Amino acid sequence: MRKALIILQKEWLELRSERTLWMTILIPPLLLTILPVVSVYLIGVTPDEDTAQLGAVIADPSLADLSEMEVGQAVMGKQFGFMFLLMPLLVPSAIASYSIVGEKMRRTLEPLLAAPVKTWELLLGKCLASLIPALIISWGAALIFVLALRLVVLSDKVYQVILGGGWWVLLLLGSPSLALLMVAATVAVSGRVNDPRTAQQVAAVVVVPILALFVAQLLGVVVLTPLLAFIASVALAFLAALAFAGAIALFDRENILTRWTA
Amino acid sequence: MILQRQEAFPGANHSPLAAPSLPMNAIETCDLTRAFGERVVVDRLTLAAPRGAVFGFLGPNGAGKTTTVRMLAALIAPTAGSAVVAGYRLGEDDQMIRRSVGLLTESPGLYERLSAHQNLHFFARLYDLDTTRAAVQTERYLRMLELWDRRDDPVGSFSKGMRQKLAIARALLHEPTVIFLDEPTAGLDPEAARIVREFIKELRAEGRTIFLTTHNLPEADELCDTIAVFRTRLLRIGAPAALRAELFGSGARIRVAGDAGLFLDAVRALPFVHAVTASGDVLNVSLDDPDEHNPFLVRALIDAGAAIRYVEPREHSLEEVYLQLVREGMSQEREYA
Repeated sequence: MRKALIILQKEWLELRSERTLWMTILIPPLLLTILPVVSVYLIGVTPDEDTAQLGAVIADPSLADLSEMEVGQAVMGKQFGFMFLLMPLLVPSAIASYSIVGEKMRRTLEPLLAAPVKTWELLLGKCLASLIPALIISWGAALIFVLALRLVVLSDKVYQVILGGGWWVLLLLGSPSLALLMVAATVAVSGRVNDPRTAQQVAAVVVVPILALFVAQLLGVVVLTPLLAFIASVALAFLAALAFAGAIALFDRENILTRWTA
Repeated sequence: MILQRQEAFPGANHSPLAAPSLPMNAIETCDLTRAFGERVVVDRLTLAAPRGAVFGFLGPNGAGKTTTVRMLAALIAPTAGSAVVAGYRLGEDDQMIRRSVGLLTESPGLYERLSAHQNLHFFARLYDLDTTRAAVQTERYLRMLELWDRRDDPVGSFSKGMRQKLAIARALLHEPTVIFLDEPTAGLDPEAARIVREFIKELRAEGRTIFLTTHNLPEADELCDTIAVFRTRLLRIGAPAALRAELFGSGARIRVAGDAGLFLDAVRALPFVHAVTASGDVLNVSLDDPDEHNPFLVRALIDAGAAIRYVEPREHSLEEVYLQLVREGMSQEREYA
């Protein structure tokens, strides 16, 4: 574990000077935080016929006691709120995609692999280096959303509908697993491809089931109760552990060295 | 001495040199083989590199030198055969081998955004040095290789020579017993190359084993106690002087006044002379034992009327030895094919 932390420290030292990468990492969360707050505010002050009918279209019992304008804010807020659960997928992939490919490209991998470091220590260090900033940024953005939402919602009821128990459970318990799932997938792919963009694109497949859940909630097929969120978080934790073990198993030192540094 | 070393092997607790039962040979291989698919890159390599010696591993590009070094540094596994490095068996004690060896790779492979100090400190910690010890070793090697004043500068701003010195420092931080150096002076200016060569001599004087791969044959000649010429297979192994004698025999080069061809018959008549050639005013004479036979040779020439200007040993460069062996290897390959 100690060596994983040493690698993590080195990764962060390197990341500190990667200004372009930080732009890539910070801009999407910034937009994803500003956009929902502005949208929820606008929908609360702009009467719209289509929005007024949303309550009838979406089969969500939590919307029952709300006015038409409140329904508009609640539906919009819930969907955007879901974006914060996707954020741990977006942020770490930008960092993780560089993890192994970056070492290959800079020809620093051979001295690193020559050191007495086990594969799991190397990959854990790399994963944590992406995971921790991803969670800090995602939770920081979510905190801003939670505080700003308070200022723009029409009533407490809307606030409670948007930030329901399921949302909190998934944000606090599911996000780390989701982020690890993404990071492990990206690191695994990063060890097998030629450039960071390919790693990011291939690993983005992980997002597909999450997007399916997003659409299901949009249509009212799935209502994110705290219990469902907890079960989903446990399942995600299991998948994340599996993905990390898979990344270790797929990390082929020999192949990486002989193909890349010969 | 260019580089002042403060102490030999400080912190023996960290050093694998403290291991109680080191064998006489730092590296031993037996039929070590590595194939990539159908292509055999290293074929049944059997060699022994004595402890505390500089072992030159020479061969043309693509000969399998890097693959051999990677196998011996426990970076890739052999397809067949066995090896013992620093007393540890390859394939069984790979982590211990990694702890006990230092590796200078072909490319320095440094983190360019990090400073020299950060680079070394990171690797010192990876090699199990505690924080204090890592700081001490980092400072020590940065000072020793004259990089201390630039310790906080990003490595990206360093010259090629400085990077190479830093990469050498990285390979030595944990005080390894066996050091693999792949082209340590490639691309360095003469002064930097000289510093590195002196440093290698000091490492040998401390009892470390250096496994040196280089295309710089005069450098190999200057540094190496033993040389192995390799091209997928081991072509020959021995001390440079022994290889010279084995391939070209020993002899004398005699410069006379006038045409040396006039004295060919007088020299040929001597029973201990194997061969003699004349070129201009120079006679090249092959002998078994120049120390014993040269006085008789000189007397015979004087008796034949020669005015002798110089008598000197007939030297063959390591390059001649190397080229001869590689040519032999190639012709053997063709015959085999």
